[in-house]
Amino acid sequence: MKPRRTNKLLVEPPASATGDIAFNLIIFFLVCASVQPDSGRSQTIPRSDEQQQEEQQDTNIEVTLTPNVVMLDGLRREDAEFFGLLQEKLLNKVRDEDRVVIVKSEPNTPYSRWIKFTELIEQAGGIITIQTEEEVIIAQ
Amino acid sequence: MKIKRKQPQADVPSMAMGDIAFNLLIFFVILARAQDDSHLQWEPAQVTEVQNSGAAKVSLVIDSKNKYHINGKQVGAVQLTPIIKSLLGNAPAGERIVLLKVHKSAPAMFFEPAIEAISEAGGDMVHILEQTR
Repeated sequence: MKPRRTNKLLVEPPASATGDIAFNLIIFFLVCASVQPDSGRSQTIPRSDEQQQEEQQDTNIEVTLTPNVVMLDGLRREDAEFFGLLQEKLLNKVRDEDRVVIVKSEPNTPYSRWIKFTELIEQAGGIITIQTEEEVIIAQ
Repeated sequence: MKIKRKQPQADVPSMAMGDIAFNLLIFFVILARAQDDSHLQWEPAQVTEVQNSGAAKVSLVIDSKNKYHINGKQVGAVQLTPIIKSLLGNAPAGERIVLLKVHKSAPAMFFEPAIEAISEAGGDMVHILEQTR
């Protein structure tokens, strides 16, 4: 009589290891899920005195942003020509205070557009300062 | 003759260790999620060049619904400056980084007050952006 062969090839993983497997899977998916962008662009917004600001307001370059239009010193410009024109204006300005570019944005200007133009201003050598609508105190 | 009483066995079954670890992990994950801002919905704007931001104490998010969040907690526009000031404390220059994460379509009426608040609180602002592919 021939002895029966037992099939020992199929071996199940030990049940006690399932906890460890689950643990490692959780760690893996957590690491995958928590990848957040952490790179970007640093920006320093200079703060100046109101008096000094008033004196310099006429000499500073002014950029006005709307959702579709960009204006350089009050003149409407095409997005593509903006960088070159700004570079020309900043060409002979050496002192920091002369290179200040005042950025005014309409309330509905999207952030992506604001970032695009402030990046161009910095690349052209300008120092960005923002001008928002001033609060008006009404005497009662 | 004295009959010895059997001492009752009250050990934690080693089989349950995996489940205990699992539950502990879930507990700490939920605790950690309450402090960070990874659960907030926002998409970064794109630029041509980006740099590494470094470690920051404060993270200010303007989400897709134009709501302000500091370190994961929703705050009002008026509270921005005092909260950022208190979080930065007396940290020296270079350690006053504030990450500004603004949803790409957020309008100026929401992100400009945030920029002003960071500037007023004396923070070093870093816009978190994505590099154009």
